[in-house]
Order: sequence, then C-alpha cells, then structure tokens
Amino acid sequence: MTRLTGVLLNRWFRLGAVLIVLVVIYLTAQSKHQQRDQLRDAEVVLTQDCADKLGRYNLQPDTRYRSPYVEAQTGAADSLLGYRAEDVRAIQRGCNIIDDLQGEQAVSAAERWNSTRFVRGTQTSCDHCHQGVGDKQDAQGNRQTGSISLGASWVMADMYDRFTGLLLPFELRQMQCFINSSNGFKPNIADDLIRDVTAYSRFLSAALDLKMGNRYPEQGIDELPASGTLKRGDDYVRGETLYQGRCAHCHGAQGLGMVQAGRVLFPAVAGPDAFNLQSRNNFSFVSTILPGFICRNMPKGEEGSLDTQQCRDIAFYISNLPRPAGDRQGPLAAVWQQLMMRAMPGLVGFVDSLNPSSPSSPSSAQSSL
Amino acid sequence: MDSLLVYNNKKRRLIKRYLITLLLLLLVFWAHLWSGNPVFYSAISQEPGWAEFKQRYTVSEFGEDGYFVRAVKSGYNLFFHTDRYGWRFTRQSADDAISSCASCHTPEDIAYGFVNADRYDPVLAKRVSFEERVMRCYASPSRLNGFVPTVYDPAIRDLRIFARMVAHKLQLSEGALRAAG
Repeated sequence: MTRLTGVLLNRWFRLGAVLIVLVVIYLTAQSKHQQRDQLRDAEVVLTQDCADKLGRYNLQPDTRYRSPYVEAQTGAADSLLGYRAEDVRAIQRGCNIIDDLQGEQAVSAAERWNSTRFVRGTQTSCDHCHQGVGDKQDAQGNRQTGSISLGASWVMADMYDRFTGLLLPFELRQMQCFINSSNGFKPNIADDLIRDVTAYSRFLSAALDLKMGNRYPEQGIDELPASGTLKRGDDYVRGETLYQGRCAHCHGAQGLGMVQAGRVLFPAVAGPDAFNLQSRNNFSFVSTILPGFICRNMPKGEEGSLDTQQCRDIAFYISNLPRPAGDRQGPLAAVWQQLMMRAMPGLVGFVDSLNPSSPSSPSSAQSSL
Repeated sequence: MDSLLVYNNKKRRLIKRYLITLLLLLLVFWAHLWSGNPVFYSAISQEPGWAEFKQRYTVSEFGEDGYFVRAVKSGYNLFFHTDRYGWRFTRQSADDAISSCASCHTPEDIAYGFVNADRYDPVLAKRVSFEERVMRCYASPSRLNGFVPTVYDPAIRDLRIFARMVAHKLQLSEGALRAAG
C-alpha cells in the first residue's frame, strides 16, 4: 500500500513538475511578448546620424509621403503612401540598428532588440560597410557608386545570388550579414530586428525614389577583379606596406580596430571582432568584393585615393590576417583560427618591438612624433 | 522448449524488420523510378497565356538569369491557377467562384500590394508584410479557404517575385499609389 502510494505520488509529482515547467515557459513567453509590444509602442530615441538622416527625409506620421530629397533633385516628387506612427517607429528603430548595432548609444540593449545576441564580436555594426547609415552621399547629395545602399538593395532583392545559388530575399541577405560579416548567428526571419531593418531600407528606397527591380550604381559593391588592374599580381608585402601607411592609423597596426570609452571609432578588420572566413569580404573566398569596397569607400574622407592594384593588395593583406572561422569551415579551422587570433597579436607585437624601423614599434612611433 | 520459442520469436522479429525495410525501399524506388511523379524538375509547366504575359511584361529582360524568370513563371501559374499549383494550401477547386488569386486580383493589384506592404494594419493592430497578406489569403475561409504555407515556401516566394516583376514593369517605387480611375 505504502509502495503504491509512493509510486502514485511520484507520478503526480513528476506530472506536476512537467506542468510547472510548461506554465513557466508559457508565462515567460507571454512576458517577452508584452515587452516586445511595449517596445514597439515606445518612443524611439534616435542616434544623431539617424536623426539627421530621417529629419532630412522628413519622416513623420502622415497619410501621404513626399520626399524632400527627390523634390530637391528633380523639382517634383510623387505623392506616396504615408506612414502611420507604428511604421515610423519601425523605420526609426531600423535606422538605429544600422547605425548602432551594438547599442553603444542605447539606454538598454532591448532598444536594439538585443541585437548583440546575434553577433559574436563586440565591434561589428551594419554601418561599417553600409556607410552613411545605409545611404552614403557626398556633400551635394549624390549617391555613391558601390556604397552598398540599403534602399537600392531592397529594390533589387530576390535576384539570383551567385554565392548561395538562391533567389535571395532581402531578409535572408540580412541573415547572411549576421552570420558572416558579423561572425554571429541567424535571427529569425520574423524577428523585429530583421523586420525593422527591412522597414528602414524600404523607406530609404521611397525617399530616394528608387524603382522596383532597377539596378542603381550605389547598389552592392563595385567589384574589382584582377582584370581591372595592370595585372602585376596581388602582393601581400605591398599590401602590408600600404595598410600600415594608409589604414593602420585608424584600424590599428594589427587590424584590431580602435575603441575608445566603449565606443568603436574604427572597426576591427582582423581578430575575434572582425568578419569571418566565410564572409564575402574575405579575399581568399571572393577576391573582388573587399578590393571594390576599399577603392570606393576607403580611407574615410579620402575615398578614391587608392588605385585599383593598391586596393587589391590591401585586401589581400587584410584577408590573410587571422580572423574567426566561418560557418562552413569546420571545427579544425575554427580551433586553428582561434589559436592564431590569440597567439599572433602578441607574437607580431613582440617581433615588431624588436625591429626599430617597423611602423608599429614604439621607437618608430616616437620618432614619427 | 523455451529456447525454441525464443528462437522463433527472434526469427519472426527479424523477418518483420527485413519486410518493413524491403517495403520502405520498394516505396522509395517506386516513387523515384516507376511512379512517373517528378521528384525535382527545373522546368515549370507552361500555362495558356504565359507567352503573351511574358511578352507584355518583358519578363525575359528582367534579371540576368533563368532562375528569376522561372520563379516568375511559377508565380504566374500560382497566381492564375492556384487550385492546381498551390493545391496543398487551398481547398478550392476550379469549379469554385474563387479558385485562384486571379479570381479577386489583377497582376497590377498584387504589384501595388507589394510596394505598399509592410505597413501597420489597424484592423489586425500590427504591421503586416506582403507575405503575411498572401498567407492570410490562403487561409481565409472566404478566399482560398485553405492552409498557411511557410514564409519560405515557393507558394509565397514565387508570388512575391511575380509581384516584384510586375512592379518593375510598372516602374513602381515604394509606396506608389494607384492613379484614381
């Protein structure tokens, strides 16, 4: 009798425990949904760049939207479907995510939908590649060729992508950015993080009056193949010299980026916080993208000052610096890369310190002052 | 005696396992080789009206590859013959008043729907994407009266690509409004 009661009690206890776990999961999910709803309704505190950008494009709740940019460029702008307050907030949040993925300027990580969940490194942010908060223009308001404009990418989404062999939807492309360029993880397609970035990109295409399915020069990267050079061959040593002369003062002698007071001033191009081996930025994976990006967008403020061979040399050098393994490299490559990232900076620093003529050695730095 | 029984049971179980494996293999071979059902096909069936549609919307000039055109063709089939090409997601048949997307919409409608999607819907009290609108059409009892495809399903994707292509032909920008009349 006692044994039977014990068994029954045991069963009830187990059943109860399972029920309690299920109720806790349900209540947690409910509370998370409520938090998300509250965030969706909350006023958005814009970063300075987003306030400038969205202010210039006159984003506000209205039944109709007319782009001041298009009016200024062409003298007239079509009346488009306006945005409700909820849409405006989604666009604003999307802009913030592009400008400040790490949430350095946010009061709480929740303001960016906890985006750092999907990023391993502590430096990556969308606008490091998608400059000008995804809409890079010169002082006259001309959109920049090969600047990976988000608006232009939106109107050309769903096209065949030669790297994945897919008709790549905009949301999946964002996921790839998270996985490889940010060396992280894939957010869900329905996550607010993805949806808000899509909302912002769609708004940019409205503000710039980009037509659906048209190819614009600012879309993607102006790829730079070897045939675009004098075909001297890409050279690591030339690349290193150029990197130390033109790039190292921002990105660091070893490419580990520059962070001050918790704010990333210049992102890492090597090491644990950089893009990974599977990223399209990796020269040994795709040899035309990073040189194209460098030629069109680097060094900041001096764009166009490097010739095509120099861009390829720098890209070749950068891509040979240690960085995390990608999602397809496998565990051995991952372990090797981790070892390199941890051992190499110290080793290189030590060797450099022995060589007084090295640009990164202390004696050289003192002499250049 | 007992050991004989155990032996027989073991033998029976073994035979059962072999039989099940054999049946499964037969099913797989039948499905792949003898059923006549295509397992994978890159060619999309051509429905009446596709050639005119392709010419009218200059589909061949859009995109630099055959993949996109194939997806548009699949979208065309889904749009005009949902009961046949999206049969998994609808209970409607050709005899019903509403049997396809084309029963209620024109290709232009869907293109405008696409460029005006991802907006807040006060009735649903949330922002609704184009894909969700299509899903709702599939599931709605008053429309396709069926089931919800996943967002990755070609039944959604190819309709989006179809809408995108028509929007390109009409040279619509994001949020473009239809001219009155």
